[in-house]
Amino acid sequence: MSLSQKLAGSPVRLVSDRDPVSNRFSDQLIAVLPRLRRFARGLTGSAVEADDLVQAACERALARQHQFQEGTRFDSWMFRIVQTIWIDQIRARDVRKEDGDTAERLGSDEPVRQVEARLALDEVRRAVDRLAPDQRIALLLVTVDGLSYKEAAEVVRVPVGTIMSRLARARIALLQQLEAGGGMRRSIKDAEAQ
Amino acid sequence: MQKRSDGRLVAYLDGEIEMAERREIEAWLATDPAARETLAALGESANLLRLAFDEVVHEPVPDRLIAAARGETVVEETGARVVPFKRRQTAIPSALTRRWWMGMPIAASLVGLLLGSVVAYLGVAKLAPGNIAGKQPAVEMAAADSAWLDNAAGYFKLSVSAGDGGLVDVPATGDPREALQKISQSLPQEVRLPDLKPWGLNFRGARLVVADGRPAAQLVYTTDNKAIGPLSLIIGSSKEPDIPPTLARRQDVNLLYWRHQGRAYALVGQSDIGYLWGIANDVAWQLDAV
Repeated sequence: MSLSQKLAGSPVRLVSDRDPVSNRFSDQLIAVLPRLRRFARGLTGSAVEADDLVQAACERALARQHQFQEGTRFDSWMFRIVQTIWIDQIRARDVRKEDGDTAERLGSDEPVRQVEARLALDEVRRAVDRLAPDQRIALLLVTVDGLSYKEAAEVVRVPVGTIMSRLARARIALLQQLEAGGGMRRSIKDAEAQ
Repeated sequence: MQKRSDGRLVAYLDGEIEMAERREIEAWLATDPAARETLAALGESANLLRLAFDEVVHEPVPDRLIAAARGETVVEETGARVVPFKRRQTAIPSALTRRWWMGMPIAASLVGLLLGSVVAYLGVAKLAPGNIAGKQPAVEMAAADSAWLDNAAGYFKLSVSAGDGGLVDVPATGDPREALQKISQSLPQEVRLPDLKPWGLNFRGARLVVADGRPAAQLVYTTDNKAIGPLSLIIGSSKEPDIPPTLARRQDVNLLYWRHQGRAYALVGQSDIGYLWGIANDVAWQLDAV
């Protein structure tokens, strides 16, 4: 008797009628969601847009799950889908977000030290937002998510040398922006304090 | 020799250069204070960058993304706490179109919140079909097996309070299947170990416990994911007839329990019911226990 048949008479269904492959696929997808959200947050600079992006990536992944090659890295495949959709989106429209978070936080009763820490991290996020899309992708994959240059190159489908140069430009630009904006003068301990 | 540049320092910092070049850069750093300063600043900015995005991975994943990963779409109605699910509007594989009810666990969790502790503590009320989205039977609260469930919740709490030190008879050192074999020797039936790593759950060990007056196995799982938290799977034997998966609650502990072919199962934890349901789904599939 198949699983679906077994389930047919159950008044409260515990097990889906998905086939085992789909179950495993969704499980893998759920497991990687926190990292996808972080990646998308860095790309879009907006919590809502990031989750919209991840949702779109989930839907595309499910629709194309037959294209995923067993034995290859699932997280890399999903990162590629997220960045592809995002690139498509920014090509289609000039996305400019309103950053209302900072003003909202400034009006709160947070201690000054925490406010400064938040400002420092907000500044970092804004600096990332000003990077060119290809640099932003390289920075988020390698520096934030910890992929090696080779793994990041596989996600983006460019040579390792290209990732290396994009990342170098991104890191130096980030450093320059933070130094110009005073972000580097704020203690990293302040950032860690929160 | 490679050109001296900040870009080389970035690769050096990331550990992405060959040994020979590493020595060249270290020789450069030894003689150039400005290069050392740049290296330190690059390292600090990288740390700030990671901190700036680190909080995202510790946030609870929104239900709509869990539903999307399962092939469902969540639509929240204005002013309603219940989240009904609808079929995806986009083109999807036919195998997925039958899965409208997969979102029920999440809706069920919201219903649980709505009803609060009154129904949960009573443990005898049954939610009438149609209470969720006016369509389907949702969660059947436990009426029977009270002592069994009390014990299961108690064993779970004991394992949590014991912490990482572990209150396990057989720790999952080396091959976790060995732990199960040892526990199984004391049980009427062999216990198999479901692999819950896709959920981020690591098997920590097994305990021999008593459920319904018979020996049972408590499989202890832990995770860094606070949204899921530690979980216990209790597998015992039973002479009672099969029952479908049923939700119960004991104080702040959620339980999903069912009986199948002489075995009683209870998945116990403090995670969201949606997670619990999905994990129980996985367990049942792996153990062919439904």
